[in-house]
Amino acid sequence: MDIKLSWGRSVMNGALLASLVLGTPTRLLADTNAEKLGTLRTIRPNNDTDVKTASSVVKQLSESSDVGLIDVLKSMKGASPLGKNWLLGLANSLHRKSPESKNDSLRAFLMDASQDSEARYTVFRWLTDNDAELKAKMLDGMLQDSSPELRFEAVAKVLNSSENLETGVLQSLLDASRQPEQVVAIIGRLGKQGVTVNQSKHFGFLDTWNLIGPFDNVGSKSFDKEYAVESDYAAGKSLSGGYDGKSGAVQWVSETTADPEGVVDLAKVFNNEKGCIVYGVATVELPADIDCEIRVGCINAQKVWVNGKLVIANEVYHTGMQIDQYVAPVKLRAGTNQILIKVCQNEQKEAWAQRYVFQARLCDSTGKAISTK
Amino acid sequence: MTKPGKFIMTSLSNCRSSPHAMRKLVFSFFSIGLSVPLGVGLCAADDWQQFRGPGALGASVSSKLPEQFDGETLKNVAWKTSIPGRSVGGAIVIGDQVITTTGDGMDQRRIRLLSYDTKTGKQRWEQQLVARGRPYCHPTSANAAPTPASDGERVVAFFSSNDLACVDLQGNLVWYRSLATDFPKAGNDVGMSSSPVIVDGVVIVQVECQGDSFAIGINIVDGTTAWLMDRPRKANWSSPTLVKMPSGKSGVILQSSEDLVAVSPSDGKAMWKMEMGCSTTPSAVADGNRLIVPSGGLTVLDLSSAGAPSQLWKENKLNPNACSPVVANDKVYVVNRTVLVCGDAFTGKVLWQLRIPDAKQIWSSPVIAGDRLYLFSMEGACFVVDISGEEGKIVETNQLGDEVLGSPAVVGNAMYVRGATSLWKIASE
Repeated sequence: MDIKLSWGRSVMNGALLASLVLGTPTRLLADTNAEKLGTLRTIRPNNDTDVKTASSVVKQLSESSDVGLIDVLKSMKGASPLGKNWLLGLANSLHRKSPESKNDSLRAFLMDASQDSEARYTVFRWLTDNDAELKAKMLDGMLQDSSPELRFEAVAKVLNSSENLETGVLQSLLDASRQPEQVVAIIGRLGKQGVTVNQSKHFGFLDTWNLIGPFDNVGSKSFDKEYAVESDYAAGKSLSGGYDGKSGAVQWVSETTADPEGVVDLAKVFNNEKGCIVYGVATVELPADIDCEIRVGCINAQKVWVNGKLVIANEVYHTGMQIDQYVAPVKLRAGTNQILIKVCQNEQKEAWAQRYVFQARLCDSTGKAISTK
Repeated sequence: MTKPGKFIMTSLSNCRSSPHAMRKLVFSFFSIGLSVPLGVGLCAADDWQQFRGPGALGASVSSKLPEQFDGETLKNVAWKTSIPGRSVGGAIVIGDQVITTTGDGMDQRRIRLLSYDTKTGKQRWEQQLVARGRPYCHPTSANAAPTPASDGERVVAFFSSNDLACVDLQGNLVWYRSLATDFPKAGNDVGMSSSPVIVDGVVIVQVECQGDSFAIGINIVDGTTAWLMDRPRKANWSSPTLVKMPSGKSGVILQSSEDLVAVSPSDGKAMWKMEMGCSTTPSAVADGNRLIVPSGGLTVLDLSSAGAPSQLWKENKLNPNACSPVVANDKVYVVNRTVLVCGDAFTGKVLWQLRIPDAKQIWSSPVIAGDRLYLFSMEGACFVVDISGEEGKIVETNQLGDEVLGSPAVVGNAMYVRGATSLWKIASE
């Protein structure tokens, strides 16, 4: 039985709401369930008390006969990432009890784009994992779905349907797709049809950087050393002057990469220098304030600041690199925004440890490039 | 014989990474089928409850498997089921359930535990969550790289993204931990793969990388942290290994490129620690009182006395580069790239070597059933080796037609093989 509570409101208000509006024992029981769902929604990281409570709550709810599957799914909206997984685990248990009985409700939930995208994709999988025909039918209308996972599936369905898709279809897929590998594949297919897409611009990669270095990082000891570039940046000073580098005075050089994935090759610019640090500054002009994300890929240790604030730091060398490897939400402002990256190279001698590269892009939370001046 | 590593009783400490350790990355994307925990909890004797099954040996000497099988004609294939996504871990068998994991959907972020009926291959239940850590890995590997573990009542699944989930045997979520959320710098975008073990009601997970590195003991009942131990900040794909200490108590062996440490599973305290460089892909194997450690080839330690274990022998010709050693009938078997090497488990003397023809890469740790050793190449060829004589002899080469990187599970007279996209039951028709 689904809870009769208004889920347009926060489930955290369930107890108070029920005592004021509902009042019957059944409703009170339902409200208790709402409180329990609220507990799962707000699980905090690294908190044993929360984990222990959640473990107890999820057991009670999965054994309860009066907790509604749809309500559990609805409660995922606005929940913390950890909370969503607890709720998702509970929802799976409830769905397993009666997988077919609520299909109409589940379909309605799936088609409600205002609901949590992970919950909707979960429902999609329940409904279609064993029904290829239904899956294909549902995906037909999901190219622009707000759920990244549903959108990914919808694009993949069309992309894999034929090797000879028309240009217009491929362009519509490119407009819809957000997953980097999928985007690259679509651009490749368009290229074969003679349609050139500026891939770097499509992703929103920052392709022009002012670089300066090398600074000393022998022994990989300077990841946290604040060279004058950093302190000047933090102080809001102009970064146009020279500095004392690893082997003497160093000056800023401008580098514009033509790489379709926005990769800046520091090894090439700095003659395969090892045991060193290079700083890069990119400037972005925006017409208005915007909440967005900076997404960085880097095979070397790196720090990234946006408008003076450190947003990414990973002291990791040569363990893989890919588009959107590291993601941080940032607020950019109207006018000039300055991004500083510090990229550290170590002294490994193996052939596979010679890369000294990074890529960075600005996009919205779905992965679509933001518009810059 | 080489002297054992320096024995110290101090607590563990963090260590900085060295360039030398990075060499392993080329070869060591994941530790497929490495450590072999002892049977624990309520698991039945014939369960294959965690990575490489009971007894820490990767062997079921009483089993008899078909020597011939074929993925295309389905000869001696009792059933096969396709599984969405990708996995390079092994399956486990608990009672009449064979349980495995997968990562599918966008970026393999959907992490799923799946149970199948051992008799029919039909799906019994599924639990799915969303990876909260980075799911990225080398294309050869997968987010679903570690093998799950069970205490006979629950199943614990770990993923490269450092998501850890515990379900009961009906698939109901018992608890969930995002170790990537708790420890934001933990992770390796080549892929993580250390498999969890369970002992004395504690799940032990080893997370070692250049960022946050630790071993953690988690109470299996409610998911709370029992203990936490700092580990070297160097990439490591090996898995914890369970041993019985001379006192009769359980111990957990953790290995790294810097140390070998025995930990009390209940409180995480180091019972002993040796400064010795161990392999970071194949894991140690406990064979009674002998601890067989991939270190300088193989190094075998005597666990029969309290305190520091003494070295029994060391042999660099017994050099497992990716797969964990297997022990049966006082012989130890290692796979060095595409060569199977057999040694005397008491002395380390190399008894024979056998080149595996046409095998390009081997990640799956072999298993022994009766007097046959089953070894899968990554391309899905299974080499059946007669190990009963003075020389090893390939008696059959079977093509499964599926990538195989996880170590098979052997229960009774059946072998459960987790291919990258399918699950197979191999048994005589």
